[in-house]
Amino acid sequence: MPQSRFAMLMMAPAMLFLGVMVAYPILLLIDNSFYHVELLKPAVRTWLGLDNYIKVLTSERLEDAALRTLRYTVFALFFELVFGVMAALLFDALGAASRWHRTVFALPLMVSPIVAGILWRFLLIDQVGIINYGLAALHIIADPGAVSWLGNQDIVLYAVSFPDIWLTTSFVALVVFAGLQNIPRDVLDAARIDGANAFQRFILVRLPLLRPVIAVVLIVRGVDAAKTFDLIWIQTEGGPNFQSEVLSMNIYQRMIRYGDVGQASATATLFLAAMVILAVLAYRFTWGKNRDA
Amino acid sequence: MRDLPLDRTDMRVRLQPTAILAGATLVVLLYALPYVYLLLTSFKPANDVLQIPPSFFPQRLSLENYAGAIGNPSIPGAFLNSLIVAICSTALALVLAVPAAYGASFFPNRLSGWFLLFALVTRMVPSVSLGVPFFSLMRSIGLLDTQLGLILAHTTISLPLAIWMMAAFFESVPRELEEAARIDGCSRFGALVRVILPVVGGGMAISALFAFIASWNEFLYALLLTSQRATTTPIVISEFKTAYGLSWGPMTAIAVLYSAPVIVLSIVLQKQIVGGLTFGAVKG
Repeated sequence: MPQSRFAMLMMAPAMLFLGVMVAYPILLLIDNSFYHVELLKPAVRTWLGLDNYIKVLTSERLEDAALRTLRYTVFALFFELVFGVMAALLFDALGAASRWHRTVFALPLMVSPIVAGILWRFLLIDQVGIINYGLAALHIIADPGAVSWLGNQDIVLYAVSFPDIWLTTSFVALVVFAGLQNIPRDVLDAARIDGANAFQRFILVRLPLLRPVIAVVLIVRGVDAAKTFDLIWIQTEGGPNFQSEVLSMNIYQRMIRYGDVGQASATATLFLAAMVILAVLAYRFTWGKNRDA
Repeated sequence: MRDLPLDRTDMRVRLQPTAILAGATLVVLLYALPYVYLLLTSFKPANDVLQIPPSFFPQRLSLENYAGAIGNPSIPGAFLNSLIVAICSTALALVLAVPAAYGASFFPNRLSGWFLLFALVTRMVPSVSLGVPFFSLMRSIGLLDTQLGLILAHTTISLPLAIWMMAAFFESVPRELEEAARIDGCSRFGALVRVILPVVGGGMAISALFAFIASWNEFLYALLLTSQRATTTPIVISEFKTAYGLSWGPMTAIAVLYSAPVIVLSIVLQKQIVGGLTFGAVKG
């Protein structure tokens, strides 16, 4: 059998599956976005043209949800990266002795967001969670009831990201640690001979060499954070007063609670397009930069 | 290289390895604390779970919460559903991904390039954007609230993942191996099955693990596509919250039962998992 036909034969089943289960549903989604379709009456379809898009794009609730998704993603990503890199540097400084530490750090590596969300909800529960008691004992807050993390509209969006940060700092730390291990020792020694101190070595030598690793972490984690649904849902279901409603949740609510398949599809199409464009741009940007180096 | 003259910064760093060790240990303990608290809480009697003020250590030990969790009529069925769906979607993903990744990485051409790119882009698609049309699709073919429907949906997550991981593992296998097997009289397919697959066995195991956990942890598709018969563990956990008021005691127990296998696996296979999560990005 010729090589190309064999390769084709090997790929065909997976292609077929992705075609039927990914490409076709996306076409279905785009198609539905031009119609008025109700969840309970799928057979009745009224052509609307771009009306759904106009409706959702002028919807304040969608605009708020999109901004919240962005704020949530940037906030969570920032702390995951800072904590993760700091932990990785600490492990690297420890050298071989960090094995035990890294094993514990692997603890939440693949824990379900549902469990993390429940856990943190419990830690912050109804203003009487153990965290508030701890903060009160340290006199950081006046009394355990002083801060309602998940009930206060101004901070809830950031409070729901705590489990995300907890869950993912370990991923960032272990990946960046692996990246640090791959930086040749003689490069660092050369920098040391040239008189660079530890901070300068980090900024001028390690950080540039870590760039591809950090780029991958940023893309993978950025996409995941922007898609977040379960972790926030289990904590607040988007409340109070929609203040923790992100895009995924907005689409889910349009579909299930309001039964408007058309508008949900239009929003989901826009979300999908934005994510793919952003991810491809980020990928090309970082990949292109790598090739120069 | 270790004997180089040290500047003052390094002296300071080297003279305080104990400080670094202490700092790292503190960080790690703080990091593990939330989960340890969950674990300890799950062994408290149900009435002590929400005591005021909260105590870190249980005053009395009890298996009441576990009895409450396992005694919930939805739990055994949900665990079984989770297990069946995860095993079947893992098997399906691997059966599709292994030959596809082999074809794409051993015999690359323009088509296989597009194929790998499409698999990568699939990973960027927000689950909700597939979940909305899945609902209509599954309803029209009668797969709503069935294990099969959820298996197919979960495979859309695990298949692209498995394709990329397996492609990375095949990349590290020398091409000569296939040529040698062919010279020895194997067919192209025989070369894959008899010579190449045994070499990437470890890679297949890690890909399977990732596929399994992706399905085990998945929430949104299960929420959209199942309601009773095919409902999985995370959905039942989330309903503990709404339907039973806040029955925190059994909820902590069920959270431990549901996450413990995954945590043990994460710790045991830490190294392989980190490698898999980055698709070999670290090694470049």
